[in-house]
Amino acid sequence: MATIRSFILYSLILFFASCNATRVIKPLEKGEKQLSAGLGGPGIIYAGAPIPMPLTSVNYAQGVDSNVTLSVGMHTTSLAFGVLQSDVSLGIRAYQSKSERFGLTATPGIHVLYDLYENNFRTYPQLEATTWWQYSESKQHLLYGGLGTWIELFKQKAHGQVQTNELMPWITVGHQFNLERWSYLTEFKYLGFQHKTAPSVVDFVSPGGNGTIGFYFGVSRTIGK
Amino acid sequence: MRNLIIIAFLLVFSSCLRLDSFLYNPDTSIEAYGYDSYEGEVEIEVGPEYTIADSMIHPLTFQSDPSGDDKKIHAVYLGNIADIATDTIILYCHGNRDHLDFYWPRIKLLANVGGKNRYGVLAMDYRGFGLSEGPATEEGMYEDVDACMLWLKQMGLTDDRLVIYGFSLGSAPATELTANPRTLQPSKLMLESCFASDDVFVEDASGLSLPGSYFTSLQINNGDEIKKVEEPFFWIHGVDDSFIRMDTHGETVFGNYRGSYSEAHRIEGGEHGDVPTVMGYPEYLNAVYKFILR
Repeated sequence: MATIRSFILYSLILFFASCNATRVIKPLEKGEKQLSAGLGGPGIIYAGAPIPMPLTSVNYAQGVDSNVTLSVGMHTTSLAFGVLQSDVSLGIRAYQSKSERFGLTATPGIHVLYDLYENNFRTYPQLEATTWWQYSESKQHLLYGGLGTWIELFKQKAHGQVQTNELMPWITVGHQFNLERWSYLTEFKYLGFQHKTAPSVVDFVSPGGNGTIGFYFGVSRTIGK
Repeated sequence: MRNLIIIAFLLVFSSCLRLDSFLYNPDTSIEAYGYDSYEGEVEIEVGPEYTIADSMIHPLTFQSDPSGDDKKIHAVYLGNIADIATDTIILYCHGNRDHLDFYWPRIKLLANVGGKNRYGVLAMDYRGFGLSEGPATEEGMYEDVDACMLWLKQMGLTDDRLVIYGFSLGSAPATELTANPRTLQPSKLMLESCFASDDVFVEDASGLSLPGSYFTSLQINNGDEIKKVEEPFFWIHGVDDSFIRMDTHGETVFGNYRGSYSEAHRIEGGEHGDVPTVMGYPEYLNAVYKFILR
């Protein structure tokens, strides 16, 4: 029982730093609107098998123009714990090949967190770059990979200790299965690979004792244009 | 979009989940304390040379009453009760597991400081642990330890002869009741594998400067409370502690102490629960004894 409780506690602690899949892989068309729901989080070994934490978020995205997509997300698991967490980002088409089957999306954004109990506020700027490849000529499915990071603005930790982690980076690999209105996403992230997570009371999926591998699933529906 | 906003507001205002209840790891399945005959898991093993005679083991119960919420808590005193009026007593605050039986070898060990039954040792199960009534809470934990102090005071103990020893979670009531005394003012504070605060737990796990209030409502803050402690302070911590890290938790508490005397024991190879074992029981007992004699 003790192990289970510790596992829940520590897994939830990590969810803020690893709480959603890539928001914008390939920018939407101008005026296109999309609603998404995501499930997943850092991976842990539970009963001998790697499983993702079932952390949830919802997201709304809209093509501001054909090169820029605005995305607004709400983190529903943290909300249930009394922490208002939202992310806003812009997916910018940085490059697209003439064939339109390969591209690069730059996604600056910001995460805002506010707890309703002690009014503690945190904000984390985020930078992310995602390359995507439409591997089939006839289908819209995408393979993608990227690199991103949260930026730590606080230089001081609790009790006046110095914050030495200035970045909380990740590497992403994923696949988006696109139908006419629906799309389904599967993503792996290697989170916080510069941050030592082992040894720990929680058995993270943690290559070399650093960071954790996150697993994410998402479903999106285009709701209008 | 309007519906989304409504749902978001409903979620916000219905948000009530906290991790507080997950922070405590008690076991309430026992029907009686087994002490030496307990066959379940214990934190450390000690040899027969540290056995305490049955005549020196006194199970006790106290009423503990935070805010009128009267609870019966269970405790055990090792030693001669008559000595409480004249000699030094160690009040032991255990960690965050199961119940007294899990920590029984540690309690016996302390009853061997300076020789068998040289000092009386009192240990209790906080409410919600073992046979003690009620749910585990932070304030309840302080009240329960203070209820033990009240009993000791009634038995004739005075401030100058009370040494309080907190292990892991027990570092919270030990520090709190030394920094902000209620019934008795401990004359010495001993902390083993102590933690600084929930903020440090969250920072260690996330790597970010996230506040503990995102997860719990706990107000435990040994890292700040220790600043108020003027009494002599003994700190011991395993260098390899993977649960409560020595560098982020223990060093913070030790570094913030501003009192009259302190000593640090950083135990190479020591994990969270095995510091006395790794250090060696004779060495551990000698270190504790020397500090008490100061």
